[in-house]
Amino acid sequence: MKFRYKVIPSLCIGCRTCELACAFTHAKDKKPGRSRIYPIAYKKDKYVPVVCLQCDDAACVKSCLFDALKRNEETGAIELNIDRCVKCEACVAACPFGCALVDDVHDEVIKCDICEGTPACVQFCPTKALVYEKI
Amino acid sequence: MVLIQINGKMVKAHEGEMVLSVLRREGIEVPALCDHQALEPGGSCRLCMVEITKADWDGWTKNVTSCLYPVEEGLIVSTHSEGVLEIRRNILDMLLARCPNSDVIQKLAEEHGVMKTSFDTLPDSDNCIMCYACTRVCEVLGKSAISAVMRGHKKVIASPFGDAPPDCIGCLSCAHICPTNVILWKDENGKRTIWNKSFDLITCKKCGKETISREFADYLLEQRDIPADYFETCDDCKRMELAFKMGGLVDGAEEVAI
Repeated sequence: MKFRYKVIPSLCIGCRTCELACAFTHAKDKKPGRSRIYPIAYKKDKYVPVVCLQCDDAACVKSCLFDALKRNEETGAIELNIDRCVKCEACVAACPFGCALVDDVHDEVIKCDICEGTPACVQFCPTKALVYEKI
Repeated sequence: MVLIQINGKMVKAHEGEMVLSVLRREGIEVPALCDHQALEPGGSCRLCMVEITKADWDGWTKNVTSCLYPVEEGLIVSTHSEGVLEIRRNILDMLLARCPNSDVIQKLAEEHGVMKTSFDTLPDSDNCIMCYACTRVCEVLGKSAISAVMRGHKKVIASPFGDAPPDCIGCLSCAHICPTNVILWKDENGKRTIWNKSFDLITCKKCGKETISREFADYLLEQRDIPADYFETCDDCKRMELAFKMGGLVDGAEEVAI
């Protein structure tokens, strides 16, 4: 893995720009879908951007019976090959952090793939709470 | 690496790869209903038919299903020649007679200029095109709960003896992969019904949201090394849990109670 996606919750102000950036970057047929990143308030005015942690020993990869989830060694992201996915939602149920999701708008399973190396949420984060850096 | 020619353009392909996967990679649109990357190619819908030839074939051509034809050095493929389009129109004509009520077939036929079928339509059609995608996906899953029964025009996809299939785990893979959406299921009051079999859905222990069926979770636990408690909560609650845990770490406390 050459890169690392980092979340710094203390800098997050909960503006939800990352959510918008994500939904619009992955839009299909000019229709924005569900976001892969969620800033969640754990107490008043304190937020944590919850996004896929790209686990080393990932439950989603292990749960997929069709080998649709694979790690991209270049970016470090676990990518979902949508052409191999049959929407059985095993990964959605298995992920211990709830970061594999079902997109109701496009009717498909979605998961953060770090936008193939140029994450839109990082570029749009105004307080630099999201960082994508070289190790 | 093999060099082949598609519609006059030279394209590189991997050894042993099927022609259809090269077409997909090159962005050339060829209709295919039974094709799915998670499955072995089946060649049952016949719509991905292409015309192939080689320089030393003296002008002879051959029509093959691209999903089952492996690439060869010097292969010349044409995907939209007049002959191929005529074959596709004939196949769609027959499919339209078999499935007169299917939106997917109607749309595809219309795109290819087949507005109305020239055959008699099948009365009380169930829209199944007999592509075997559902039985193949069940096989990949390792269950083979459903299969084709009877022969000839009576052939249907069904469970053994039409009863609730003993091997079905209620994962809905067959229903989702079906190109014409024939396989019906229902999620109601914590129960999932498919193939006349009823399954208990796992309800989230925090919010009560229904996730996958209990049998499917048991099968995953048996097949793969995943902790059992991962399946007990829904994705929304698991995200909340993560946020509270991470928030607790930020504030210096060990963990914040949810």
